[in-house]
Amino acid sequence: MTICQFFLQGRCRFGDRCWNEHPRGGGGRPHSAGPVRGAGGGWGAASQRYANVIQPPIFKHSTWGGSGDGGGFSGASDFGSPGNKSAVFSQNRFSALSSAHPADGFSDEEQRLLDCVAKDMATWESSGQWMFSCYSPEAGKPNVSGFREFSAEEVRLEYYNCSANNNTENYINSVNQLVQEWRNRLQELKALNASGKESLLSQLKNAVTQPLPSLGFGGQQASSFGFPSFPVSSSSSAASFSFKANPSVPPGNAAAVGSSAAASNPPTFGVTSSPSVPNPVGSGNSSAPSAASFSFKTSGTTSGCGTSGLSGFGSSAAANSSSTAPLPVSATPSAATGTSQSGASSASAAQTAGASGHNVTSAPSAVRDGIRPERLYTPRSELTAEELRQFAAKRFTLGKIPLKPPPADMLH
Amino acid sequence: MSSQTVAPRAGPVTGLYPALPAEERSGSRGMALPRLPAVLASSSAGPTRMSLFGSTSGFGTGGTSMFGSTTADNHNPMKDIEVTSPPDDSISCLAFSPPTLPGNFLIAGSWANDVRCWEVQDNGQTIPKAQQMHTGPVLDGCWSDDGSKVFTASCDKTAKMWDLNSNQAIQIAQHDAPVKTIHWIKAPNYSCVMTGSWDKTLKFWDTRSPTPMMTLQLPERCYCADVVHPMAAVATAERGLIVYQLENQPSEFRRIESPLKHQHRCVAIFKDKVNKPTGFALGSIEGRVAIHYINPPNPAKDNFTFKCHRSNGTNTSAPQDIYAVNGIAFHPVHGTLATVGSDGRFSFWDKDARTKLKTSEQLDQPISACCFNHNGNIFAYASSYDWSKGHEFYNPQKKNYIFLRNAAEELKPRNKK
Repeated sequence: MTICQFFLQGRCRFGDRCWNEHPRGGGGRPHSAGPVRGAGGGWGAASQRYANVIQPPIFKHSTWGGSGDGGGFSGASDFGSPGNKSAVFSQNRFSALSSAHPADGFSDEEQRLLDCVAKDMATWESSGQWMFSCYSPEAGKPNVSGFREFSAEEVRLEYYNCSANNNTENYINSVNQLVQEWRNRLQELKALNASGKESLLSQLKNAVTQPLPSLGFGGQQASSFGFPSFPVSSSSSAASFSFKANPSVPPGNAAAVGSSAAASNPPTFGVTSSPSVPNPVGSGNSSAPSAASFSFKTSGTTSGCGTSGLSGFGSSAAANSSSTAPLPVSATPSAATGTSQSGASSASAAQTAGASGHNVTSAPSAVRDGIRPERLYTPRSELTAEELRQFAAKRFTLGKIPLKPPPADMLH
Repeated sequence: MSSQTVAPRAGPVTGLYPALPAEERSGSRGMALPRLPAVLASSSAGPTRMSLFGSTSGFGTGGTSMFGSTTADNHNPMKDIEVTSPPDDSISCLAFSPPTLPGNFLIAGSWANDVRCWEVQDNGQTIPKAQQMHTGPVLDGCWSDDGSKVFTASCDKTAKMWDLNSNQAIQIAQHDAPVKTIHWIKAPNYSCVMTGSWDKTLKFWDTRSPTPMMTLQLPERCYCADVVHPMAAVATAERGLIVYQLENQPSEFRRIESPLKHQHRCVAIFKDKVNKPTGFALGSIEGRVAIHYINPPNPAKDNFTFKCHRSNGTNTSAPQDIYAVNGIAFHPVHGTLATVGSDGRFSFWDKDARTKLKTSEQLDQPISACCFNHNGNIFAYASSYDWSKGHEFYNPQKKNYIFLRNAAEELKPRNKK
């Protein structure tokens, strides 16, 4: 049979009924929704052949007896039912055909996640929804790093405090900076390069939840906003907080802002989960309080050097030098904790490294009710010689990384 | 059969119309009712009490919605009853009195550092009763089970107990960061106040002691919580979600992986047919609500999410405007739910039939809080700015409103097809 030229372009109007041959793997290009509209029957046959993977979006809405006007239920289709991948496939119905040769060596599952991330970023950008929110591509997956989370009430309280001190400039600058960071990160995720994809995927596969960056949004102190007071003279961008603002501010513009300058150089680390921390200090650092929270979660042992930091403070310092970890598992823009107000998003490595030490020593001060300091460090008596040697060494040796936190006196 | 006394009407209140000044309840209920706390029992008829609150808004406010507006202002497109003397800044929480109190009393906490209390009469008149102040914005409030106390949580890192009998408020809780949620827990063998704070702790207070009975660590800042004995659900930052069981003493029951992709904003527990809490609804900033059962027979099918508070409805091709879900409340009788969002609309839903029952017209401000009264006849919602667009859209001069709507009919469940 002759090969159907339209099918190769992805726009054969006859679909199954076409008299020409539709070769598998040849139609992996997206096409417009032209023939789909009325051809429920045609697609029905196609979907049988392709094992129910493709489901036209039309069916979704007729399932529930919704009242028709906006906001109908999307049933279990968004997250609940594992088999329904139409959210992604509705854009590219032929992707199943090209599954024989997955692009870039990613599996279907991974590709789906990546597509989902890209799509969500586009939606987030255009929808005007709240910016300062965490994000995860799928229920049950950990949060994608690089997004700082604040509730509207926290931001509002900050404004009220600042205006009580006649300090609204400070507030405006900090908020603009946050907005800029958000936008940068969003653009990054919208257009990931190969290494970006790798690290994102490994992030999502790793520990169930990342250690949570605790962002001192001026939490404990009155006017310390948890931000370095950069010479952000971006008074011109005073109005840029409005959410629907055109994100055409090129990342180059960010260079004007001190901290974000580092953001424009992602390649150094393969991943910049956050624009303002060029230093893979990441997880362990972020969290005096979150180590406290750690006591609820996993059982004190980490699954490997990659997800270090969860097992206590000391090891985080050493973990930084462990070379296998996909870099910043959750590099947080702010190394500071709520308690250690050391000016959160520190751009300079020195300051961050200092902050890491700072965090460690402030750990005891972060002890809240119910958390005992003994759990953060192991007494020497409980460690084997090998573990002690590892802690004492400059770098961890793969395969010999201790699972228990180091003794308190070994830190620095 | 023909009683001479004026008996309260049973069944749906039909009289919740904009108040006509002539008609007034004589106030003599006749029957022997539990004694009202002094503050609430002080009788008053009509708006003469408005000067009780700090800044009065003038006489005519109560009737504005009835007299109609000459300008095309959209502050009350649903023509619902406006509560008199609303707070001067955004309303953060609303709560109606429990069934142990006769009548309906509404409290509202606001960003003007105050919490106000009104009596809501059956004919729809609202009478301001009292107010208390904090030194920071009030973020949450609740009633005790006997209706004699009101608990308030504030950004000044404290929580207070307001005794309505004496109109005194004392501090009962202290945190290291603003207190975001406060709930009263009444268990068979204990009662306490539960406070959730941005200092990542959940504390339980016996109101007589300055130290908490118990402190539980949260993975992140507490953003919202709900309590229906014996279950408590707490949602935190970074998509944290924890369920606690409250029998004997509060303990963590399960950590749940969030069914939503973005920041959690509000949570409300629902009950099953035999009145036991069985799951919760969780709203996010991304115009989506997840219905989650704790122990469903078939999780993949029973748990689901639905989109709401979006501009384009189901037309997903054009970019939509997506708004945050600011509050969720379940109707105490029908089990249907109401959601209110930053888009300035409220919607009623039937989660069992998985359908939408109604969406309101769009108000000119976001709706920041909502609640039902104890028998589900009244739905209250607050129209005020929720900071969803930042400080630029904040207008301190703009008036805030609380509206009351007759909820008996509109929230009846749809018959399952």
